[in-house]
Amino acid sequence: MRYGFAIDQRTCIGCHACTVACKTEHAIPVGQFRTWVKYVEKGVYPTTTREMGVMRCNHCTDAPCVKSCPTQALFIRPDGIVDFDNEVCIGCKMCMQACPYDAIYIDEESHTAAKCNFCAHRIDQGLEPACVQVCPTESIWMGDIDDPTSGISRFLSLEPINVRTPEQGTRPNVYYVGADQTVLDPLAAPVDGTYLWANADPLRLETASAIPGDPLTQARLTLNTAHPRPWGWKVWTYLWTKSIAAGALLLGALLLLLQPERPELLTIVAPFVAEGFLLITAVLLIWDLKRPDRFWLLLNPFQINKRSWLAIGGLFLGLGAGVGGVWFLIGVADRLGIADLTALLTPLAWVAIPAAIMTAGYTAFLFGQAEGRDLWQSPVLFWHLQAQAVMVGAGVLLILGVLLGVSDSIITWLSWALIAGVIAHLLITWVEFGGSHSTRNAQMAAHLITHGTYKVLFWGGSIALSAIAALLALPTALGGPVLPAVLAGLIVQGALLAHEKAFVKAAQDPPLS
Amino acid sequence: MKPRDPDTLSHGPAATQVPADSPVAPGMRVRETVSNYPPVSEWDDVVMYDAKAHPRKVGRHYMLVPTTCFNCESGCGLLAYVDKETMEVHKIEGNPAHPGSRGRNCAKGPATINQTSDPERILYPLKRVGPRGSAQFEQVSWDDALDEIGARIRKAIMEGRRKEVMYHVGRHGEDGFIERVMLAWGIDGINTHTNICSAGARLGYSVWGGYDRPSPDHANAKVIFLLSSHLEAGHYFNPHAQRIMDAKVRGGAKLIVVDPRLSNTASHADEWVSPWPGSEAAMLLAIAAYLMRTDQVDWEYVQRWVNWRVYMQNMHPDQDANDFDAFKRAMTADYAQYTFEFAAEECRVPAEQIERVAQIVAESEGKLAAHTWRAASAGNHGGWMVARALFFLTVLTGSVGKKGGTSPNGWNKFIPHGPDMPEGPDMWNDLLWPKEYPISTNELSILLPHFLLDGRGKLDTYFTRVYNPIWTNPDGFSWIEALSREDLVGCHVALTPTWNETAIWADYILPMGHSTERHDTQSYEQYAGKWLGFRQPVRRVAMEKMGEKVGDTRDSNPGEVWEENEFWFELSWRIDPDGSLGIRKYFEAPGRPGERMTVDDYYGFMFDKNVPGLPEKAAKEGLTPLEYMRKFGAVEVANDLYRQDERALTDLELDGAVPDENGVLRKPVTMETTVPLVGEAGAVGVVMEDGSKVAGWLTPSRKLELYSPSIAEFGWPELATPGYIESHVSAKSIDLDAGEMLLLPTFRLPTLIHTRSGNAKYLNEISNKHPMWINSIDAKRWDLQTGDMVRVTTEIGYFVVRVWVTEGIRPGVAALSHHMGRWRTTDGAGSRWVTGKVDVGQLPDGRWRLRYKEGIVPFASGDPDSLRINWQDPGVHQNLAFPVHPDPWSGMHCWHQKVRIERAHEEDKYGDVVVDTKRSREVYRDWLAKTRPGPNAQGQRRPEFMMRPMTPQRRAYYVNDPA
Repeated sequence: MRYGFAIDQRTCIGCHACTVACKTEHAIPVGQFRTWVKYVEKGVYPTTTREMGVMRCNHCTDAPCVKSCPTQALFIRPDGIVDFDNEVCIGCKMCMQACPYDAIYIDEESHTAAKCNFCAHRIDQGLEPACVQVCPTESIWMGDIDDPTSGISRFLSLEPINVRTPEQGTRPNVYYVGADQTVLDPLAAPVDGTYLWANADPLRLETASAIPGDPLTQARLTLNTAHPRPWGWKVWTYLWTKSIAAGALLLGALLLLLQPERPELLTIVAPFVAEGFLLITAVLLIWDLKRPDRFWLLLNPFQINKRSWLAIGGLFLGLGAGVGGVWFLIGVADRLGIADLTALLTPLAWVAIPAAIMTAGYTAFLFGQAEGRDLWQSPVLFWHLQAQAVMVGAGVLLILGVLLGVSDSIITWLSWALIAGVIAHLLITWVEFGGSHSTRNAQMAAHLITHGTYKVLFWGGSIALSAIAALLALPTALGGPVLPAVLAGLIVQGALLAHEKAFVKAAQDPPLS
Repeated sequence: MKPRDPDTLSHGPAATQVPADSPVAPGMRVRETVSNYPPVSEWDDVVMYDAKAHPRKVGRHYMLVPTTCFNCESGCGLLAYVDKETMEVHKIEGNPAHPGSRGRNCAKGPATINQTSDPERILYPLKRVGPRGSAQFEQVSWDDALDEIGARIRKAIMEGRRKEVMYHVGRHGEDGFIERVMLAWGIDGINTHTNICSAGARLGYSVWGGYDRPSPDHANAKVIFLLSSHLEAGHYFNPHAQRIMDAKVRGGAKLIVVDPRLSNTASHADEWVSPWPGSEAAMLLAIAAYLMRTDQVDWEYVQRWVNWRVYMQNMHPDQDANDFDAFKRAMTADYAQYTFEFAAEECRVPAEQIERVAQIVAESEGKLAAHTWRAASAGNHGGWMVARALFFLTVLTGSVGKKGGTSPNGWNKFIPHGPDMPEGPDMWNDLLWPKEYPISTNELSILLPHFLLDGRGKLDTYFTRVYNPIWTNPDGFSWIEALSREDLVGCHVALTPTWNETAIWADYILPMGHSTERHDTQSYEQYAGKWLGFRQPVRRVAMEKMGEKVGDTRDSNPGEVWEENEFWFELSWRIDPDGSLGIRKYFEAPGRPGERMTVDDYYGFMFDKNVPGLPEKAAKEGLTPLEYMRKFGAVEVANDLYRQDERALTDLELDGAVPDENGVLRKPVTMETTVPLVGEAGAVGVVMEDGSKVAGWLTPSRKLELYSPSIAEFGWPELATPGYIESHVSAKSIDLDAGEMLLLPTFRLPTLIHTRSGNAKYLNEISNKHPMWINSIDAKRWDLQTGDMVRVTTEIGYFVVRVWVTEGIRPGVAALSHHMGRWRTTDGAGSRWVTGKVDVGQLPDGRWRLRYKEGIVPFASGDPDSLRINWQDPGVHQNLAFPVHPDPWSGMHCWHQKVRIERAHEEDKYGDVVVDTKRSREVYRDWLAKTRPGPNAQGQRRPEFMMRPMTPQRRAYYVNDPA
């Protein structure tokens, strides 16, 4: 059994009754929508038309939101409805990134994720969803798509049908009859200054000029809803702090294995940096939750979704923190003369290396689950995160190493690490942004980074600053003065912050509805 | 679109699968195992899972109480979910038992819950404390308000100043109640909003058949011809949209939409025609001429039902008036001037498109469902001819009253009355029905402030009832000037559920209920049947059903919000406490003299006695008729009503009726006989050539009047037949290169309704911006871009607005939607969901100016959503800058304006409106001078057959008592 909707845009009159009936059924806060009507105007007078499309959750058979939800707050019912339980939602917004359809929002009252749930509470009582009930022209059909004898199946079998962005591979269960491509395709119709009787939201206006559009019809978006970027500064800052932590862990461990000497930089400071930045990372991540009070749900093995990289990532962060913590304690115990367990550092370093790699790299899989953000679906992201961790981890250790007066060989080594990290970062960035992206969504985001809103951040920050840092570190690496390397260690932090800001924001800019 | 496969015509099996023990509701459907509503049999106790608690199954008990919507005039059914524990209304859905709306609604239906729970609504009676217009009010008791108002009216009646009492209504949303009250008071005092709305179309329809509006049978049509946007607005948006789409889906009906703007309706059209506004009649007459010259006319129908002999006698006196073939030739020749090329020149659309439309109309096979209501008829000098020309097509195609064709509204509307309907008064109120407008279809309500300022009369007590003339009518500053004058308006009482701009100038603001808080009945022509809808205070009904004792509706409404019916009962008693004025008796309970009538008495009587078939239907359910209506909220009185012109007269109707020289069957009348709302007193039908005695039409001839003797008699012989009147804003009269444009200020959004919906947050958040639409060609001409601010200058002033450059409007026409530009002068006297704060006052040179001090901003209230307001634009109150343009015939305000567009001046601010009311007065006089005042040669003020919302005795129709 699989419930689905069929929306007949040939008879839809764009009256918004479904929008409002849904809002009153669920008492949805002002500014948020589970279903809404999109308008697109196309053509030139007098052959102008207005196309409409009822937008909502697609109740996907392969629902990326369900896969990515760390606490199983989103789930697929046996009848195919993609439902949610707001009492176990932590408000991480992962589902909003996973959904390629702008269907999910964080409810302003409950601060938890919400979306069309097919009015499952009504379905359970044998009643139609509120939107179906209210529709003046009976344009919204619902029923069991798996049952070939159902009204909806017969209807769909007779008409040419479409779904929204099928290339996302989510197998949507909301079918459109007679919907124009300029309505279904979120990138076909940019807003032209204003909607016809409402304000366009700032993000739509800001990104309009970057939307590819439809040269044939000159389609213009004339009514839609606002979908601000779910993730902001806390997330791009987290990417930086976590890179430092992972880099410190990784480089510290490598140095432990490769260097004969074991200064405090390696035994105490490196794990301390890792622990400190992991703590900041955790604070940022929890702070970014809309329900931070429910953070503990991520610790409940029965609650977490083992397929969710947000949940899995938490485990890696925990592993990194655990390894770093033991390492730090061994170092401190030795320093204070409490106990000498330093012999354990070598095996610990062998554990720390994969922990650091996963601490840095799990985000690639997490971003990979953000199926709405094509830019993040990058095969090189995992390696990029490693390079970035090395780059900023080396930078921080360089600064602290110089302050602590560690040996030249370690400084030289770290300088080379920074240079190598930067080179890898630049190479991977070139791979990432030098070529063409496979989807228009990713193309748009990449274009915004390299030629649009974020070009200063990108060229001036991510590229120029990191290159300058590498150049500054070079004399030190070659045995010269240490001060340039300290400067490089500082500058490289700015470079990564700039990069992450552009990368996180730009991917969330292409509209999904 | 291609017709749907019969298997998939509907979503599933029809209502037959509803549990056998539940009464059948026309809008019930079951699709596989899922239905749209709980069965009616369970409505007294429905357990619904709490949506917020889901997926936990938390059941809550509700009583489902039907009522009807009070937003637009469609009167769609609603179903309120009254929580049986808290007795609060939880949500509002549609009513599947309602035959018009069939359980479906537009956005405004469910949004009713926003209006009732609005923290900004008026909860207590208020009395003015500062100067009028200062927006300073204090709470008063209903008792004190009733005493003062009642005493004033009593005094006015006793002193023979009945003309000084006036009830001025926006959308009635009810039938017959206030008519009965005013009749009981003996006052010709009902003033409506109709001449800012539909008076133009009404005249066009009235002159054909007496009935003032059409009832297209969209569901069965082959061709649907709309000069309107009925898929998104107007009478009757949701009920009509359902049926229009039904016809497209089931029958593959063709849809023709005429609109200068790309409406949502036009976006669904097979042919979207966007003629120059005001030229529509030329196009329609060209189509008529095409039908005649290609002989695609249903001549049989025309011969039987059109007054062609009268046409011949008057238009071709030299020919044999009894030769139908001669008539065919003569009419065809008379209309030959209306070529496609002529129409194309007037309309500025390609002749080929008009010809295409003509061919579609010609192929309608008598199934042409055609409708115009406001649009062109409401925009233009002579706009009534558009409706007349459109109905001409219905006549020529033989679509009148046929299945899939167009009937008159009277066949599909049903107005039952309460007990003891009083006779009409013996007075004529010429503030409402002035001599200059003998064939106006409604009161000249837009001229009221000018008449008052001219000294034509004054008002002792003036009720504005859910009516906002300062905002909605043209020339609002003249309204402010008149309403500010206490010597002209003694006491202004605003009856309203929500704040409006006019209430700021009231002496009393009396809060009246929304759709779930009041009683009314209404009936509208929405399909080929008749229904009666019942609005009721749902909490009261639930409380009473659950055994609670309720005194009056105030006991169940929020605060001290009342309902009008009980208010009028009470006020009538205070006007005539001892019964000496003969008023009180109409408000005593039937069978219980000396006791006040209750709403149960009133509606109980009506449903028992005056609704055919209802007692039987109720008995079948084991209910009294009143209980039935309380349970179902509506009843269908008749279905499949076609060709009622051919209805054979009953013996009762024929009893005492004598045919006159034209075969019209008349019963004797006196000067004291009250004239019916439509039609002539005493006339019951007509004897046809074949001897059949049938009902016919409501014109003096009981036929369809191609030639209208009444129009000729009342001074306009040259307009006695359908023709073309050039609009005051015709293409020829507007010099685009000089910066002139035509402003279309009336278009509506599917989500808003006048100033009524201003406090519905779920509607505000969808529609909250007010750009002026202009075509890219015009934008290029003046180098304008979306968002640029322009000054729009009218005859009396200007306003400042931003433009939206779009391909959705014809070049040369600028359009600004009708609902926005809301304001308040102080906090507490206007809904902050939708109004900006303004300064209103006179500049040193005497001109009025309205200027925003603050847009819409979030505010703290009991509703957390008020802090989430994310819109800012209150819009531009354009109507203030429009002078009155009363159409010389219908009295309709001709909304379209010739304006001059220029970039905003340096001193201009967004939303500014500046007006010189001295110019307003001049324009008023210019348009008054276009009239040809009555009476006719017989001293009659107005054709007796033409509709009035309430009617006096025949004597009042004569300037000098002919007796």
